[in-house]
Amino acid sequence: MTLPNFPAEIRAPQGTLPGVSSFQVHFADHDILTAGDAPDVLVAMNPAALRANLGDLPQGATIIVDTHDFTARNLTKAGYESNPLDLLGDANDPLGAFAVQPVDLTGMTVEAVKEFGLSRKDAARAKNMFALGLLSWMYGRPTEPTIAFLEKRFAKVEAIRDANITAFKAGWNFGETTEAFVVSYEIKPAPMAPGVYRNITGNLALAYGLVAGGVQSGLPVFLGSYPITPASDILHELSKHKAFGVTTLQAEDEIAGIGSAIGASFAGSLGVTTTSGPGIALKSEAIGLAVMTELPLVVIDVQRGGPSTGLPTKTEQADLLQAMYGRNGEAPVPIVAPQSPGDCFDAALEAARIAITYRTPVMLLSDGYLANGSEPWRIPEIVDLPKIDPAFATAEDLTEDGKFQPYARDAETLARPWAPPGIAGLEHRIGGIEKADITGNISYDPANHDLMVRTRQAKIDRIADSLPPLEVDDPSGPPGHGKAKVLVIGWGSTYGPIGAGVRRVRKAGHHVAQVHLRHLNPFPHDLGDILHRYDKVLVPEMNLGQLSLLLRGRYLIDAIGYNQINGMPLKAADLEHHILTHLTHLSEELRAN
Amino acid sequence: MTATGLPFPGLRSGVELVPTTDQPQTGKDFTSDQEVRWCPGCGDYAVLKAVQGFLPDLGLRRENIVFVSGIGCSSRFPYYLDTYGMHSIHGRAPSIATGIATAREDLSVWVVTGDGDALSIGGNHLIHALRRNVNMTILLFNNRIYGLTKGQYSPTSEAGKITKSTPMGSLDHPFNPVSLALGAEATFVARTIDSDRKHLTTVLSAAAAHRGTSLVEIYQNCPIFNDGAFDTLKGADATEQLLRLEPGVQVTAHGHTWAHDPTEPDPTWQFALSRLDTDPHTPTPIGIFRQVERPTYDDQARAQLATARQAAPGEPTDRLAALIGSGDTWMVN
Amino acid sequence: MTYVISQGCIDLKDRACVDECPVDCIYEGPRMLYIHPDECVDCGACEPVCPVEAIAYEDDLPSESAGYLAINAEVFADLGSPGGAAGAGMMPADHPLVAAAQASA
Ligand code: SF4
Ligand code: SF4
Ligand code: SF4
Repeated sequence: MTLPNFPAEIRAPQGTLPGVSSFQVHFADHDILTAGDAPDVLVAMNPAALRANLGDLPQGATIIVDTHDFTARNLTKAGYESNPLDLLGDANDPLGAFAVQPVDLTGMTVEAVKEFGLSRKDAARAKNMFALGLLSWMYGRPTEPTIAFLEKRFAKVEAIRDANITAFKAGWNFGETTEAFVVSYEIKPAPMAPGVYRNITGNLALAYGLVAGGVQSGLPVFLGSYPITPASDILHELSKHKAFGVTTLQAEDEIAGIGSAIGASFAGSLGVTTTSGPGIALKSEAIGLAVMTELPLVVIDVQRGGPSTGLPTKTEQADLLQAMYGRNGEAPVPIVAPQSPGDCFDAALEAARIAITYRTPVMLLSDGYLANGSEPWRIPEIVDLPKIDPAFATAEDLTEDGKFQPYARDAETLARPWAPPGIAGLEHRIGGIEKADITGNISYDPANHDLMVRTRQAKIDRIADSLPPLEVDDPSGPPGHGKAKVLVIGWGSTYGPIGAGVRRVRKAGHHVAQVHLRHLNPFPHDLGDILHRYDKVLVPEMNLGQLSLLLRGRYLIDAIGYNQINGMPLKAADLEHHILTHLTHLSEELRAN
Repeated sequence: MTATGLPFPGLRSGVELVPTTDQPQTGKDFTSDQEVRWCPGCGDYAVLKAVQGFLPDLGLRRENIVFVSGIGCSSRFPYYLDTYGMHSIHGRAPSIATGIATAREDLSVWVVTGDGDALSIGGNHLIHALRRNVNMTILLFNNRIYGLTKGQYSPTSEAGKITKSTPMGSLDHPFNPVSLALGAEATFVARTIDSDRKHLTTVLSAAAAHRGTSLVEIYQNCPIFNDGAFDTLKGADATEQLLRLEPGVQVTAHGHTWAHDPTEPDPTWQFALSRLDTDPHTPTPIGIFRQVERPTYDDQARAQLATARQAAPGEPTDRLAALIGSGDTWMVN
Repeated sequence: MTYVISQGCIDLKDRACVDECPVDCIYEGPRMLYIHPDECVDCGACEPVCPVEAIAYEDDLPSESAGYLAINAEVFADLGSPGGAAGAGMMPADHPLVAAAQASA
């Protein structure tokens, strides 16, 4: 996606409390005819500005507040009885519908420009440029045109020119070092089901989903985690929910994060670890240990641009193959991916269900777009949430001669017994060395290894038996008899953009089907049939074609990728164009035949 | 528990929340059915025997004891004990044990590790466990060599050591594990020797009784790859070479003489003591260098949970409904 | 469990095993050596070095030597567990059955 240089429009105050001046900046990739109707971000320099502009903001918008001017006096002047910033993150947070970033804009600007010897007032004025620098970082805007503009604008007063440029750069740098992150999620157009709604970001929904996983299974939740963008908010959120029996341990590193979670799972908790791609790389060996010891574990990867440190604040879906294969040996791990911010709640519960039921680590692949994006979410009724049975081993699981068999298996799920310490007679040792079938003792026997490798794979494959049929969105006719010849299949956060793109295509009078995958390992049983029903299968992804590779390998179909790896979400307009192109090709092919 | 091994009465016991049994236990109860597979003469046998012999004295329920290990010769330890156990991955045992001990107050948690496992690949986890003071006992088998990978130098091997990977002598300066632990402000630090069952047992008892992370360095002979590493400290004529630490014992080092006090909160003098054997002419201290009380991570984590729970009465499902339904909401009909 | 020395050692006593024992639990009597059953850690280091194969793990003791399990234990009845043979010196007497045994050659 190319974005032209942005014009900064300075406008007169509009419909605000008296005395509040504001200006709107609109970044866009087309000609700007109006300043954006509803802003995505509000920079509130003081309480009055916050109050005056809040009404114009859509839910989920980002608000940057200058904490410096949120003084008691200013709050009173603006009619606030208490400081709304004090309640950030609380249940009754009046700004709960927004992503609020409190920043000491004035303080940092004054500090940044102090070498220019400006009066305090002039120095503080440069905070506008600090804010602009920060916004430029958040929206990935080039800095050169702004600097050129400032050089021209303040050419006459050297100190002011330099102070403004410095403040602008300082704001940009602040964004970079603190990894300020903002996205707005493109919602798939669809009628809203009746119910009570709220706005929710993906990371918040994920944290709630994990709390729900604990409540619905009756297990304490243990999160072992190391801070990393863009996953840290899950750690922050879960650390507030101790009353639900949630323990959070900020570990010394990624490996200790998962290590402590595995320990907690062994001890009978629902072990969880949260991270992003680089963290998954570090945790790989430990995930293998959880595969071998067959302990429940939820591993959350909030994907970001890679490889290496990559683009911490940009979104990408390039960890799918890492989640699928990124371990030594044959180490199958189920993969669950949420499709929208609110869906992170259900996906987390589903990951917990699979982990506990099948005694396995489960990978949940969110991404930066979902994590920080928000959408209206229909709040589920607790009675509608699935119950999860930990089915711990008991003394009744002993054999007739009083032996405990930690690697005997459930006939249906192939899950082994989960026997946390504390029950006499169930003492057993597990570990990373190959286990003998049934007894779990160390075994180097070749035939046993062959059996165990196949059994671990078979256990993961069995999960597909518990999955509901896929929902194919194809209004062109009944399954197998519709007019649509092209199926668009995606996974994860591309659901909204693909849905919007598909709708545009249909609006233009064409037929196209959409299916979206929540389970990437194992695939649902009916996926093969669905894929084979269509002449063309398009696979839009924010990577170089990882799902395409899996689909081709598994179903021997010619999956056609649409791949974008620029750190940005897919765009409905681009997808529409891509789909239409393929529809045209297809009709040409059909005509030629 | 029985009164075993409480050298400093008045401190909270490391096993006070672990259920006990009235059934008499013997070493045999703690012996699993797995064949022990260390090399003949390995010091690990002596430690295993000492642990099997001493666990019954604790009087704890066997099902409430967990041994966790990493990778290395000594890390096979859990397989030979009939308790709960996990033989995990290289270096990570302290982090796994941290999860276990934090999740469950009713378990006696042990880590078995070696000089490579604990000080090379797992160095980070070790120091952070010590800093956090999670309630667990770490047995660090120090044989100053890599045994399982067949004879490379380890982080405790003396500089200049000729090994398979250092034909011209190793260039690494070694760690002194006791100094390292004291530097990390561990709350319990001790050293003992594989061949001295009585001393080993006394130190292990004190370590188990300590509430917090106990680090016990065990000098362990590897007859295959580093035979005789501690021979000067063994046998009847080794008395001269050993400084047996007891509270109040007079020690002289670095031109000072002082009475050893393991309970002194400031680790400075205990650290000075740990440096004693840097000079080959002064004796090697064994025994308890330090035992001080500091709130444990796991106790405090559980206390925070309990406080939060008290402040939020009601059914979890109701509270969950309130949580997810918080903030600005609206109806769609 | 313990390792056990049996009749082969009587009057031979070449002490090859003593050098191998990591815990110094092989004690010398006037006519043979004895393994202290409580102090032995089952490490097996002594067994292969004995020139006359007099040492065996208690479960592997040949039937003609079965009595030596008790002999190795009983001989320490008065001594207790000194925790090291080097410091304990020569035992004052052999087990009565050993003392009474016929010289082998
Ligand atoms: S290699 Fe050394 S440390 Fe390892 S089992 Fe053999 S003797 Fe013991
Ligand atoms: S088995 Fe080991 S401990 Fe026992 S007597 Fe022989 S060498 Fe000594
Ligand atoms: S090596 Fe054999 S013969 Fe020699 S002293 Fe030991 S037991 Fe006796």
